[in-house]
Amino acid sequence: MLFASCEEEYTPLPSDQGPQYVVEGYVESGQDAIIPYLILTKTLEFYGTLGPDQFNESYVHDAIVRVSDGTKTVQFEEICFDDLDDEAKKVVAELFGFNADSLTINFCIYLDVLDQLQPAEGNRYDLKITVDGDTITSTTYIPVHVPLDSMRFLPPPGDPNDTLAQLACYLSDPPNEQNYYRILGNTNGGSFEPGLAGVEEDLYFDGKSFEFQLLNPQTSENDVDPDIFGLYFVGDTISVKWASIDEATFNFWNTVEFAKANQGPFSSYTRLQSNIVGGIGIWGGYSVSYNTKIVDY
Amino acid sequence: MRGILSLLFCLLFFLGVAQKAYTVSGYVKDDRSGETLIGANVFMESDPSIGTVTNTYGFYSITIPEGKQRIVYSYLGYHSKTEEIVLAENQSININLKLGIEMQEIVISEKAEEEDDNVESTSMGRITLPVEQIKVLPALLGEIDILKTLQLLPGVSSAGEGSAGFYVRGGGADQNLILLDEAVVYNSGHFLGFFSVFNADAIKNTTLIKGGIPAVYGGRLSSVIDIQMKEGNNQQFQGEGGIGTISARMTVEGPIVKNKGSFLVSGRRTYGFDLAQPAIRKTDFAGTNYFFYDLNAKMNYQFSQKDRVYLSGYVGRDVLTFVQPGRDFQFKLPYGNGTATLRWNHLFNDKLFFNLSAIYNDYKFKVNFEQEQFRFEVASGVRDYSAKFDFDYFPSNEHQLKWGLQATNHKLSPNVVTGSSGDVEFASTVTPKYGNEYALYLQDDWKISPWFRINLGLRATMFQQVGPYVSGIDGKVYKSGEVVKTFSSLEPRAFLTTTLNPNASLKAGITSTTQYLHLVSNSSSTLPADVWVPSSELVNPQRGWQYAAGYFQNLNNNMFETSVEVYYKSLKDQIDYRESYVDNSVQEVETEFVFGEGEAYGAEFFVRKNKGKLNGWVGYTISKAYRIFPDIENGRRYPTTYDRTHDLSVVANYNFSRKLTGGFVFVYATGKTFTPPQSIYLIDGEFQTDYGPRNSQRLEPYHRMDVSLTFTPRPDSKKDFKSNWVFSIYNAYNRKNTFFVYTDYESNLQAGTATIKAYKVSIFPIIPSITWNFKWQ
Repeated sequence: MLFASCEEEYTPLPSDQGPQYVVEGYVESGQDAIIPYLILTKTLEFYGTLGPDQFNESYVHDAIVRVSDGTKTVQFEEICFDDLDDEAKKVVAELFGFNADSLTINFCIYLDVLDQLQPAEGNRYDLKITVDGDTITSTTYIPVHVPLDSMRFLPPPGDPNDTLAQLACYLSDPPNEQNYYRILGNTNGGSFEPGLAGVEEDLYFDGKSFEFQLLNPQTSENDVDPDIFGLYFVGDTISVKWASIDEATFNFWNTVEFAKANQGPFSSYTRLQSNIVGGIGIWGGYSVSYNTKIVDY
Repeated sequence: MRGILSLLFCLLFFLGVAQKAYTVSGYVKDDRSGETLIGANVFMESDPSIGTVTNTYGFYSITIPEGKQRIVYSYLGYHSKTEEIVLAENQSININLKLGIEMQEIVISEKAEEEDDNVESTSMGRITLPVEQIKVLPALLGEIDILKTLQLLPGVSSAGEGSAGFYVRGGGADQNLILLDEAVVYNSGHFLGFFSVFNADAIKNTTLIKGGIPAVYGGRLSSVIDIQMKEGNNQQFQGEGGIGTISARMTVEGPIVKNKGSFLVSGRRTYGFDLAQPAIRKTDFAGTNYFFYDLNAKMNYQFSQKDRVYLSGYVGRDVLTFVQPGRDFQFKLPYGNGTATLRWNHLFNDKLFFNLSAIYNDYKFKVNFEQEQFRFEVASGVRDYSAKFDFDYFPSNEHQLKWGLQATNHKLSPNVVTGSSGDVEFASTVTPKYGNEYALYLQDDWKISPWFRINLGLRATMFQQVGPYVSGIDGKVYKSGEVVKTFSSLEPRAFLTTTLNPNASLKAGITSTTQYLHLVSNSSSTLPADVWVPSSELVNPQRGWQYAAGYFQNLNNNMFETSVEVYYKSLKDQIDYRESYVDNSVQEVETEFVFGEGEAYGAEFFVRKNKGKLNGWVGYTISKAYRIFPDIENGRRYPTTYDRTHDLSVVANYNFSRKLTGGFVFVYATGKTFTPPQSIYLIDGEFQTDYGPRNSQRLEPYHRMDVSLTFTPRPDSKKDFKSNWVFSIYNAYNRKNTFFVYTDYESNLQAGTATIKAYKVSIFPIIPSITWNFKWQ
């Protein structure tokens, strides 16, 4: 602000509402699709400091998690990190962006262990969770995939700089249909992160073939030096995970992004638009493709 | 409609033939500048109950018995004048009143001390503040602000710390009709609403009507803020200006033809970033700048004793430019209002005053990004063409009738998005919406007896959404001007006054209002980017009823004026965004609306000291404001953002000497409601917040004290050039009032630890300022 602002820590009054179930689950189809999985937790009280115990206690165990594609129903199996062998731990930890050797949370997921579901484009996937007498349901749809046409690195805009690059992506959006996209990226491997504008709908570019600049998630945080904002470093290896998603999945991630960006003096609160009945969170269908390139031009 | 007109003409006929006395009419003006005086009192010395007040153009008409009579003319801060006349026929008398005392000593009152106008009149919840009163009060950064002064009155609460936005009796910010020389001002704030767009040097009068809105006004549910610009000195050239902490201003006025016509040009501009330009040029952000300005201009000319023409206009802009040449990046954010009003006053006879107005106003907002081959732009706004005529008829001392007709063509541009990537052009599918709004009104201020008065009014309104338009419901295509949807409303208004004794009265009133244009904000305050939308096939008009009653008592020979008013408001078809609304600028916002109801009630207590070295007021309001939306939390009744249980203002100025005047403001209000974070959860490795019930907690109470000193080195100087210094301290005891609350997460999921904290942020510490004002003539 223009004036010398002053901030103090503040403790809101405690909530009088009990914890809610939180679902985060995905079914993916397409290139290198990950096996369907779901994380089931409970919300944590909004208070000062959390330790491993609170995290571990937030996982909901022994739930019956079933997913149906209309023809077959698959029950997911609960697997906790501590139960895995070292090799599996390493794979799973990397997938979620952790280092297996020093991870202190025993996080648990419900997994289609035998990969029986085999998600496919154009299918709907109904979720039903039964736990402690409660029922949680949701449904998601995997749309037909619309891939990126291509992507290439270009010199950064403005002053010449041979250590930085911008990423130009090319997309041909199909006309006369609503398309929703989720975009994630990683640098030199590791977990995929959403960047700024990590979800898009085609209201603005329906049916167009066009070029756009994809910002680097790692350099598009608020506190990054404006000279490198959104840019890539020459020599890095960049992977872009490009997903077509359904409207409900778009709405969830769109509200996540808006809530994150919309914290400030004039902002109102934003409730995330969940597609979960009996809880909050997201049950999302993705059809995905990957583009990987070394940053160079 | 035919019935209303028949009634009107019957009334006029009988009232006209019933009179046998003669009429004295004319204008009341300031003798030095020739400015007409609005709301000046004119009454018979022998019987003060026979009297009237001048209208918006300074015109009066009073009918009194033939023979030798003495008529008193009075206006606050001016020497009263008594005219002795021998009435044998109708007479036209223009009166010039002399400023009686220095401005610093002006009583804070809208009435003359001889009368108990606040007690006798039928008006409720109506306060007029001459701008000179506003100028002696402390101000944030020394910027005299009309709208912030209004917030110090009971029933009016601030939209937020330092904000010029305000809420009246539990109504939304869009429910205030803000008029500048009859033109609607759609966005009244500069710099995200911290300063209002009204340059006090160009303003003559500000009237707030929060209760009994007369039938002459319409289109908003909560209040009317009627602001008149100065006309300009028609006696001599003069100038005034000032240099403050953030802006400089200059006003020039003078006669076009002495006693017949005058002009005024007034400008204000901020200069802080301009001064910083040499330093900014050395950074990576060369070319970055921000400023706002206002330019007011007005001229008037009296063509004959019966005809006068006014032309006035305003243009104001905020201009933010952020440039990063090294990244080939440019961001521009210009927005602002423009208004123009052409008016013709004509006197058909001594009893019938006529005004014809042609009004234009335009509010534009734009955001533009450019980088290399990419361009993105969002533009929105409102444009009105309006024509109206108004008659003021003074058939007898018992009646004062007003009637008129208004027609307005609206063009409301939602967020229209355009952009390009190289040769590929993008555009959103939303298009401007059009509407025609009509209003016909009739009102009579009827003095049934010396102890009982009634103001009856009826306003008939109609709004038509017209094409070009493509229906969002059935896809039907409407051509330009073709009617899509029609709404109409009959809005009765009635206000009663029973005078208990010369110093006390009881009043009651009922007001029905309909609002066809809406501004729905998703932020905690209204912002320039918020979009006005019309009533349409998707959005019903907002409707409201207000019931009010009050007791008015003047004490100690009118040294003290007191009142207690209570009100209850019922609001239908209120609008908000649906839960989980995301402003992505490319969809029709109407599809994101949900509709509900509201109610507000409260009591307002007001004590004002009008005379002496110390004057000022204390206003206290206890109130509640709720909304119920079936689609928000399953219809749970919740307090609005505007809900303030307690709201106290203490305003005083003290005339230490002719050189030194002190100003003092203290405000206290119950903390604003907010929606608290309730719990957290992890999604994709990041914390998300789950919120509790809407507006279920409050910030701490808000309180603040401001003080000012106005020092006039040579108050008695005979020189043409005079100046004074204003030293102002905002938030004198450095209260850290919370402006907003935010949450911050720090986590190390690898280690299984996280810290979640909420912070409250205050933005205005103690802020001293100095302003130098000057004037020559």
